Amino acid sequence: MLKTFSHNSVVRRIGAAALTLLGVAIFVFIMLRAIPGNQITAGLGTEAAALTPAQKLALEQYYGLDQPLVVQFFSWLGNLFTGNLGFSARAQQSVLDLTVASLPVTFELAIFSIVLALLIGIPLGMLSASKPDSPRDALGQIVGLAGLSIPAFLLATALLSVLASSLGFNPNGQAFASLFGDPLLNLQQMLLPSLVLGFGIAAPIMRTTRTAVLEVRSNDFIRTARAKGVPPRRLQLKHVLGNALVPIVTMTGLQFGYLLGGAVVVEQIFSLPGIGRQVLLGIQQKEYALVQSTVLVIALTFVIVNLLTDLTYRLIDPRVRAS
Amino acid sequence: MTDLAPAPVGPTPRTGSVAAGRFRALLRSPSGLSGAIIVSLLVLLTFASYFSLLSYDPIAQDPPSRLLAPSFTHLFGTDQFGRDVFSRVAAGVANSALIAVVAVTFATVIGTMGGLIAGFFRGIPDVAIGGVTNVLFAFPPLLLALALVSVFDRNWFTIAVAIAIVYVPIFIRVTRGPVLSLREVEYVKAATSTGASRIAVMMRHVLPNITSIIIIQVTLSLSWAVLTEASLSFLGLGAPPPTPSLGSMIFEARTLVYIAPWTMIAPGVIVVLLVVGLNLLGDGLRDILDPRNKGKR
Amino acid sequence: MSHGSRFTRGAVSALGLAAIVSLAVSGCSSPGTPAPAETAKSGGSLVVGVTSDPDTLFPWKATQFQATHVLQNVYGTLTEFDEGLNVVPGLAESWDASEDGLTVTLKLREGVTFADGSTFGSEDVVSSLTKIQDEATAAVSRSALASVTAIEASDENTVLLTLSAPNAALPAGLAVLTLAMLSSDDTEAALNTAPNGTGAYSFDTRVANQSITLKKNTAYWGDEPTLGSVEFRVIPDESSIVSAMQSGNVQMAIFDDPLVAQTAESGSITIAKTPQLSYHTLQLNATRGDLADVNVRLAISCAVDRQEVLDTAALGEGEVTGPITSPAYKSDTDARPCPERDLKQAAAYLAKAGKADGVTIKTIVSQGEYATSVNEAQNLKAQLAEAKITLDVETLESGAYVDRWVAGDFDAAVALNGGQPDPDGMYGRYFTSTGNLNKVAGYSSPELDALFAEGRAASDPTDRAAIYEKVSAELEDNAAWVWLFTSYSYTATDSAVQGFVPMANGSLQYLRTTTVN
Repeated sequence: MLKTFSHNSVVRRIGAAALTLLGVAIFVFIMLRAIPGNQITAGLGTEAAALTPAQKLALEQYYGLDQPLVVQFFSWLGNLFTGNLGFSARAQQSVLDLTVASLPVTFELAIFSIVLALLIGIPLGMLSASKPDSPRDALGQIVGLAGLSIPAFLLATALLSVLASSLGFNPNGQAFASLFGDPLLNLQQMLLPSLVLGFGIAAPIMRTTRTAVLEVRSNDFIRTARAKGVPPRRLQLKHVLGNALVPIVTMTGLQFGYLLGGAVVVEQIFSLPGIGRQVLLGIQQKEYALVQSTVLVIALTFVIVNLLTDLTYRLIDPRVRAS
Repeated sequence: MTDLAPAPVGPTPRTGSVAAGRFRALLRSPSGLSGAIIVSLLVLLTFASYFSLLSYDPIAQDPPSRLLAPSFTHLFGTDQFGRDVFSRVAAGVANSALIAVVAVTFATVIGTMGGLIAGFFRGIPDVAIGGVTNVLFAFPPLLLALALVSVFDRNWFTIAVAIAIVYVPIFIRVTRGPVLSLREVEYVKAATSTGASRIAVMMRHVLPNITSIIIIQVTLSLSWAVLTEASLSFLGLGAPPPTPSLGSMIFEARTLVYIAPWTMIAPGVIVVLLVVGLNLLGDGLRDILDPRNKGKR
Repeated sequence: MSHGSRFTRGAVSALGLAAIVSLAVSGCSSPGTPAPAETAKSGGSLVVGVTSDPDTLFPWKATQFQATHVLQNVYGTLTEFDEGLNVVPGLAESWDASEDGLTVTLKLREGVTFADGSTFGSEDVVSSLTKIQDEATAAVSRSALASVTAIEASDENTVLLTLSAPNAALPAGLAVLTLAMLSSDDTEAALNTAPNGTGAYSFDTRVANQSITLKKNTAYWGDEPTLGSVEFRVIPDESSIVSAMQSGNVQMAIFDDPLVAQTAESGSITIAKTPQLSYHTLQLNATRGDLADVNVRLAISCAVDRQEVLDTAALGEGEVTGPITSPAYKSDTDARPCPERDLKQAAAYLAKAGKADGVTIKTIVSQGEYATSVNEAQNLKAQLAEAKITLDVETLESGAYVDRWVAGDFDAAVALNGGQPDPDGMYGRYFTSTGNLNKVAGYSSPELDALFAEGRAASDPTDRAAIYEKVSAELEDNAAWVWLFTSYSYTATDSAVQGFVPMANGSLQYLRTTTVN
């Protein structure tokens, strides 16, 4: 399954990525228009019934809805290449500015969650694998299962309401602080959401670690190393974990990509102005350009993360390095 | 190992020829057994609800008996409309399971066919299917489901379809890789050279060899489908009321949690149980179906 | 366009759909305890938890209720409502109609300035009203000025309005945010980012999707506003707003869901319940199918126990209502054809319509826009089934529902519509044959046209009350719609918050007398 890492394949991958993004652009464009209603009715609600035809036309011109769909699509696409991602009438800001503000929030959340997940998942997975079918394996498995099975919104709601009502601890009730504006408050605000997401992601990480470690350990070179008298701790960390890293990195990359849009529920509960919420709001308000561009940004990030993941495991996989 | 599915999932197993009739083996594995027990109990509950064997109608409102605490008359208490929470949870399991099963069935059939065709025929079908898969994959799954649900009139079926569309690419990826390698296996090559139609070879010789992978993926997907439906409900995009689904029950109960905690605890515990059961079942299946796990446990 | 005979209300009412709570304006708010200006502690900053950002900062297009909340404090209107929903002077100190009722003289308040320091005068009034009338502006309350044929400034502080017909509802109609007075120098584009009004607070900062902050307008023409600043903080999830109140980060919030309010009520948080003017109704489209027969409509009306709908769908939190919900003109629910549910009478009406075997009616319901809609539909369906009336419930996404509603494309619709203090503003646009929402109402009659015209011409309050009693009777006797109930809005405040008066329209105008200790 491993391809050689050549100049050609890089070009091919970039080409494929561009096509994928074009597909995403077309798909999201059509899907948005298939959702009933438009920005006028989303804003005015049933009050839109009171508009005269001339008023309606004026509003359609204002929102650019009077153009044929093909024109709408290509002018949006054309604008993208000039760095113009569109304008949000609702926020009175360019989509670019909104994204520059919201993407780092989700990125930060994703990074913290992943770090937490790795800190929980890898040791737990190694613990489980260290003695299969023992009580410690069961413990690891149960924690993993809980992470997989408890819906994030349930955990999030419970944490937030219990801590707020009993301890009065609710940093997320304060205005959102950016990492560089007020790092201390920002870290507090990221704490609970990262815990919730990290716990969920720890589960697949733990399971991947456990399986990978078990597999690596059954390999001959580990037996050889052990026979040679490599100390167990060193064996565990360097040889076993080192070789089990590939699937773990792959899983981590996938989870990171997944978090870009998958954190929307947690962003909603903890009032984090992230990119998931930006899309959700855009869909609700029928802000077409906003949703189209934001989804494209997420897709682009996803593609890049995948590429990086691929690169990383090519770097760390001993089998690939050898060849 | 590159073809991992993008959502919480264990590593994709490699191809292996697995004989049928592993049910007993499943029951011998501890996780398989507990999973089977939990899931069967919930299925039993579902049937009881489906054939109206429970003493209360899950939808009928009875204002005088609203927000009663759990008792012998109402095992899990009543909600803000005086509806029996136990009956609603039972119906909710039924609805959540229905959505999950329909969604995963669609995803399995379409995704497996897609993966088979792409992997077996290569060439243009592979490129086309691969392209669609990449596009769907580049969408964040929850946002994709969310947008799809908004397109249709919302009912349990359209939610199932939306979830199915999200999971189709996962099944395509999971099957395509093994099919690619199976294609090169001697007996498949031999079958092709005897002049049998390629479709026949694909269905007769390739498909049976990837069933174990598919089965494992199905159980895992079922549990995500339950969670996805619950998350959609949480964002107000689940099955419309009064239809009880576990997700919408939790969503509606959030405002009640201080006054009537049972309205949230009951569906919350059940949804976790359901997902745990499905995951355990999946683990059990993997233990016996995945050749890599042989001798490791 | 309507004939200019109607004076429609301003468009504040979000007609229920603009989500969560509708912006009805009504009386009967318990007169809270507005802090007297002299004892009010100056300063203090308040944080209000809201689920969403305003969707526009341009007042003439603001129907979303979060937008109204913010902008009402920033902009001024010619007239205003007091806490009892009486029309009181705003930017106009007086409004006098000529003998024939065709000319209205507005005397403007002197010494009023906009937030940018420019002086408010007749030029701004003329420019605002003229722009609102221009269809290209797409102002939602344009139809409110339909009877105004000329607007001129006779001097710096006097404006003359020429009307095509007398209009007693005009003063109340001018009190809405969508008819706010803007500076003649301002443009929509400028105001979208930098609101500039004459209100008690002025725009300070906005962080898109996160918060909007207002600061005290020290040049405000009325008593000095009490708060130093007000922040509307976006917390998208209502339960999270409750948590933020419990942890003391947010001091005030408005809920429409009684359960959320109940959850919030604890410790230092108190809840004030305010009856709303908006009403839950089953709209019947009398231009379609079986519903064209008045007897079918009456059968439906008789077969519904409104209290049961209220109890099952809204936990009994509200009051059964007739068409007119404003206290001064309130419809008498005992005067309707079947004051109590009467299945025999319903059967009789069906028989009279030649439909003794029953009828099938299709209704649209929006889901997700307000909490009770689908439950109402389910209960109505159950009740009507007992009268051989099959209610086919078509549940729609809000976008699809609005599309259908706006086009009048439905037989029946479960709706939550906004109310008005003045009954002409509330129903003139629905139930007169020239009303701009008549196609949505689906019913009009020469009798109603005459009654509404009479109501606009009469200036004596007692006369008007009598006329609108007849309007109510006309609507109920013909079962134009099936009016169900009104609900409450819930204002949650921390104990540190004093002097706020919740209004029946959900207006936050009394933030100007609010203090935070």
